[in-house]
Amino acid sequence: MSTYLRHLAALLMLASVAGGVHAAPSPPPVPLVAPAADPAASAPVSLSARKVYEQARSQLVQIRTVLKGQASQTSVGSGFVVSKDGHLITNFHVVSEAALKPERHELVLVTADGRETPAQILMLDVLHDLALLKVADPKKTGGFDALTFRPDTDKLAQGERMYSLGNPLDVGFAVIEGNYNGLVERSFYPQIFFAGSLSGGMSGGPALDQAGRVIGINVARRVDGEQVSFLVPASFASALLARGRDAAPLKGDAWPIVAAQLTAHQDVLTERFIAQGWKPGTHPRYSVPVPPDRFMRCWGSSEPSRTGGLDFERSDCVMDTRIFVGEFNTGTIATRHEAYDGSNLGTLRFAAQYSASFRNEGFGRLGPQHQTKPQCHENFVDRKGLVLRAVVCVRAYKKLPKLYDVAVLVATLDQPQAGVQGRFDAQGVSYASAMKLAQHYIEAYAWVK
Amino acid sequence: MSSTLALLEVLDRDGVVRQSLKVGAWPLRVGRAFDNDLVLDDPYTAPEHLRIARDDTGQLALTVGDSVNGLHLNGRTLAAGEQVPLPAGPHDKPLLLVLGRTHLRLRLATQRLAPEQRLGTARVLTQGLPTLLVLALAAALVLGFNTWLESEPDLLTKSLASFAISALAIGFGWAGVWTLLSKVFTHQAHFGWHLRVMLLAVIAWEALMAGTSLLAFAFSWPWITDFNFVPAYAILGAMLYFHLQAVEPLHPRRTLGFAVGSALTGLALSLWFNVQATDRAGSELYMNHLFPPALRVAKPVELTDFMQGAAELQTRVDAKAKKTDAED
Repeated sequence: MSTYLRHLAALLMLASVAGGVHAAPSPPPVPLVAPAADPAASAPVSLSARKVYEQARSQLVQIRTVLKGQASQTSVGSGFVVSKDGHLITNFHVVSEAALKPERHELVLVTADGRETPAQILMLDVLHDLALLKVADPKKTGGFDALTFRPDTDKLAQGERMYSLGNPLDVGFAVIEGNYNGLVERSFYPQIFFAGSLSGGMSGGPALDQAGRVIGINVARRVDGEQVSFLVPASFASALLARGRDAAPLKGDAWPIVAAQLTAHQDVLTERFIAQGWKPGTHPRYSVPVPPDRFMRCWGSSEPSRTGGLDFERSDCVMDTRIFVGEFNTGTIATRHEAYDGSNLGTLRFAAQYSASFRNEGFGRLGPQHQTKPQCHENFVDRKGLVLRAVVCVRAYKKLPKLYDVAVLVATLDQPQAGVQGRFDAQGVSYASAMKLAQHYIEAYAWVK
Repeated sequence: MSSTLALLEVLDRDGVVRQSLKVGAWPLRVGRAFDNDLVLDDPYTAPEHLRIARDDTGQLALTVGDSVNGLHLNGRTLAAGEQVPLPAGPHDKPLLLVLGRTHLRLRLATQRLAPEQRLGTARVLTQGLPTLLVLALAAALVLGFNTWLESEPDLLTKSLASFAISALAIGFGWAGVWTLLSKVFTHQAHFGWHLRVMLLAVIAWEALMAGTSLLAFAFSWPWITDFNFVPAYAILGAMLYFHLQAVEPLHPRRTLGFAVGSALTGLALSLWFNVQATDRAGSELYMNHLFPPALRVAKPVELTDFMQGAAELQTRVDAKAKKTDAED
């Protein structure tokens, strides 16, 4: 649901032809800027916004990913200087092309006064979507002003003014005023809910308090809402800086680093998911596995048939958090179930429709360049007298060694005219975790005692 | 006027007689020149292409004239100037001659006539209108039952109506095209035959699909539906063979070869496609035919045993991931 704020050049070209810039390709397309010749249309900037911007202007950069040998940009984002030696913080997704395909891409920084200088990646924090960069030749460029991080101990109050900086859509450096609204609920990793209008291209830019200290890093926004934007808390960036200050620039592609961080993530995710157990009372006849709403959201719906056929209720549980790894997202868990009542249909017709629903499952999330084709194991499983048809399918990642996607399908087979079908998906998990999670899911099916 | 010694027939490409010539005396001469007994209008034949006469011993013999292309006698190639005796005994069959592009048949008076054939014995699949009606009814019931099975109660009449329209359109279209082919090549329609072949194929197909699905579910044998496209191709091949029987009845072996070849080609392409698309030879990733619980025969396994099987998938996916890495 949320979209990353990296803006693609193709979109920009399209926008310049059309004379108006549109948001990332998701519904509804919202025009994000007024025509340049109409300054009165923009909201008046308060005095403190002007002050904050003037202070931070020299620490702010645009980060361009440029095709080697061609000099055309493939994506643009923002970043900011955090040390006098020329260390910078931005989002991993801003530099992911340069990190994962270094043979084809390089990074160029553009300062607010228009100077360009190459940059290198020192360290990545894929799970929090952060990257630590350094100016390639700090001596040549002279010293840097650095932004400071607001310490965690200095808590913000909900509603406090804050200012997000960056270069939206490659239009020009901008300051966006908004409010701090605490942490996003049910997020697996903490994120700040910023009520302000972030746009593509602002990714990696800093969000500052009124004293000009960094509270968070612009990362994403919801396209189905207004002024619902997200920041990575500054503490992760300061920790990354502390860890990577003296690191050597990355050599080769970053896939092994991504894989190692995902492996650590899936250990934590698997443990937390299994430890939280299941919600009680999800079906009158069976216990059906539905996770509690800690770091997942479950949406349900109930649909009596309009054509005298199958009545069903469904529940979809998904995580907001998913880990962006360049060409795809992973590292998330989802569950789903549908409870069918076919008493209007009779036994045979119910079986036909129940079967059709069991058939209607896809496993083609990622293309063959990223994953192997699925391999499945299936059988009738006895859960203390309740008979299930169970299918476990796994796919291996090609660039992330020893990580897999696992999908589990379950259909109850004890009633001739009713039943529950469930699906469990875990992405980017180790094989041991995949098996642990699959077993955890299947064994949750039982009769209600 | 002497009695007829032989009958020389000019055949068209479907084997139907175009022209026939009674031979009252030997020699018989055939070619493009005007002084032949049979004058051909075929640019690939010589002015004097062949001559049939009695040789010194009184035996009937064929001599090839001064021809570039020579000729074929009962499938044997003869060059210019060759002379061969002709089989003229009572049990010998009429001679088939190909000169250039002209097909000739020579029936000799000394050869015995083949007995009369009974009408309608040529193609018995289940002859007659009553069986045709029974088959049509059976197919309609099977397909109608499927439509009922898959429809929502309130939409049943609509589903049945659209099923009836499409079934009639497709059925008559299919049988009609084959009928047209029969008419072109055999000058007979054989509509009833084609309809029967089609209906039997539909019934066999439905029986195969329902039977394999039920077995796969009851005994938890996923491979049955995974590979039920193999017998499905056999049904298609048989259907093609029997349709072709009524289009090209003269060459049953060739027809059989073509039908078997088509089925095998289709099967090979399907397997290839499956491997390309899913890395597996079968067509179903997992068994997805659920029947009422009472029809389950296989015993459910304990979860730990089930998970053991799932754990064994790892070597398979790891091998696939490695293999494609090597290809990159």
